[in-house]
Amino acid sequence: MGTDRCAYLSRLRRVDPVPKIWLALTALLLCVLVDSLAVGIFTLGALSALNLSLGGQKAGDLFHFLKVPMTFLIIGCLPIILRPIGTAEALWAFRLLGRWTWGVTAENLRLGLLVLCKAMGAVSAMYFLSMNTPMTDLTMALERLHVPRLFVELTELIYRFIFLLAGEAGRIRVAQEARLGYRDFKGSMQALGTLLSTVFVRSLRRGDRVFSALESRGYTGVLITLPGQYASGRWLYGLTAAIAVCQLLILAAERRLLP
Amino acid sequence: MSYAIETRDLTYTYADGTPALKGVSFGAEAGKVTGILGGNGAGKSTLFLNLNGVLTPQSGQVLLDGAPVSYARRDLPELRRRVGLVFQDPDDQLFSADVYRDISFGAVNLGLPEAEVRRRVEDAMVRTGVTALRDKPTHALSYGQKKRVAIAGVLVMEPSVMILDEPTAGLDPQGVSDIMGLLREIREKLGITIILATHDMDIVPLYCDQVYLLSGGRIAAGGTPEELFCRPELLRENHLRLPRIAHLMEILHDRDGVDVSRSAATISAARHEILGLLDQEP
Repeated sequence: MGTDRCAYLSRLRRVDPVPKIWLALTALLLCVLVDSLAVGIFTLGALSALNLSLGGQKAGDLFHFLKVPMTFLIIGCLPIILRPIGTAEALWAFRLLGRWTWGVTAENLRLGLLVLCKAMGAVSAMYFLSMNTPMTDLTMALERLHVPRLFVELTELIYRFIFLLAGEAGRIRVAQEARLGYRDFKGSMQALGTLLSTVFVRSLRRGDRVFSALESRGYTGVLITLPGQYASGRWLYGLTAAIAVCQLLILAAERRLLP
Repeated sequence: MSYAIETRDLTYTYADGTPALKGVSFGAEAGKVTGILGGNGAGKSTLFLNLNGVLTPQSGQVLLDGAPVSYARRDLPELRRRVGLVFQDPDDQLFSADVYRDISFGAVNLGLPEAEVRRRVEDAMVRTGVTALRDKPTHALSYGQKKRVAIAGVLVMEPSVMILDEPTAGLDPQGVSDIMGLLREIREKLGITIILATHDMDIVPLYCDQVYLLSGGRIAAGGTPEELFCRPELLRENHLRLPRIAHLMEILHDRDGVDVSRSAATISAARHEILGLLDQEP
């Protein structure tokens, strides 16, 4: 499933997830909190570069994943850049139906690009985390960061069984199609209803069996396991600090150069 | 002859009133492979859940190494440690998306120190041949690989008896012989007593030392595989059949009047019989 597949192949796969979380989180927060276009661009570039160099991800893969939010963001930022401007001084404007003035002002252009760059910087930070940390490590790290145990256990079980449910639903769908389900709208609705109820009933039954299996291995109410040994990721804290310092320096430079 | 695990008159009825076990008495010899044969719904899975303490028998006794088992709440962890249960569908057993963490679960539950848990996990991974899969997520494994991981997850508890529900179901022929070879190795190297439920009649003469036929919640017959194969009508009544080779021997003996032993159920036993007929030394 998407970024998760990359995470298992990442060079940082065996590195302690907690420093990876801090690195991504620090970069993300700074990028979002300071209102700076340059910091956004820097975060996008720096975290993507780390993703490729440290994680060993393919540039094509990263671009593929960046494309999706980028499309949404560009569409989302267009109405910020191009909108009714009244009598303000415009870089470019036109009259809509002869009554309203629509156009692009310097201020709106700056705002639109700022939102775009900030968001892309934040997205690249999240991708650094999710393309280099398998889901199970992430949930394990959440537990170490004192997220409530119930929440963590549920996340882990859902993550494991979502693949089984998806597989089961896929097989049922093929079986329905083989018997001419989904031919028209009404038939589709009916078949989809049957599919959902079957998956639901089956997962209830599976739940019973899973519980028996857990009990037979000594389950007493908490799902404690031991993760494989991680490589220390302390050096990532240095990197985290370095990136934060760069972000702040760029912010200062931007403030000075562009009043 | 000492039994690693033995039941006496074990009964179990489900909450909805369905009687599943109606007085089951059988024993699995220490260090041997015992097969439990039976059609669908004969009570195999219920019996296993009783032996491992997930279900508590209504009456009767289970003996481990000759000592009666207590189903008191505080004694259950020890029972579950000593009697390991491998479920038929590994997707029911593997609850974690991380292979290493799933295997560690049973050992962590025993409250062992971390170093000991790691030693056992590594050891179990080597024995079941899944070391190379440690970095893969569970959902990326093949069915046979999941089965091995499930076995490793039970081995970490270092049980004295390992029970497997249909270990060969859903595997290709290569997978079947790999898994059975693995079980043989576990029995020989670790001395673990193995009980397995199966419909796969052809593996019975190859791997089982003793077999019991479970039918309608009762033991209908027990003995060596050869003894059971001399009563094919009993097998057929219970939706089972003879192994192919034994079936051939039965036809040769009964219909063609050839002087072969009807209990020859493996290729090597059949070869011996045929060479005997031809007056040749094997």
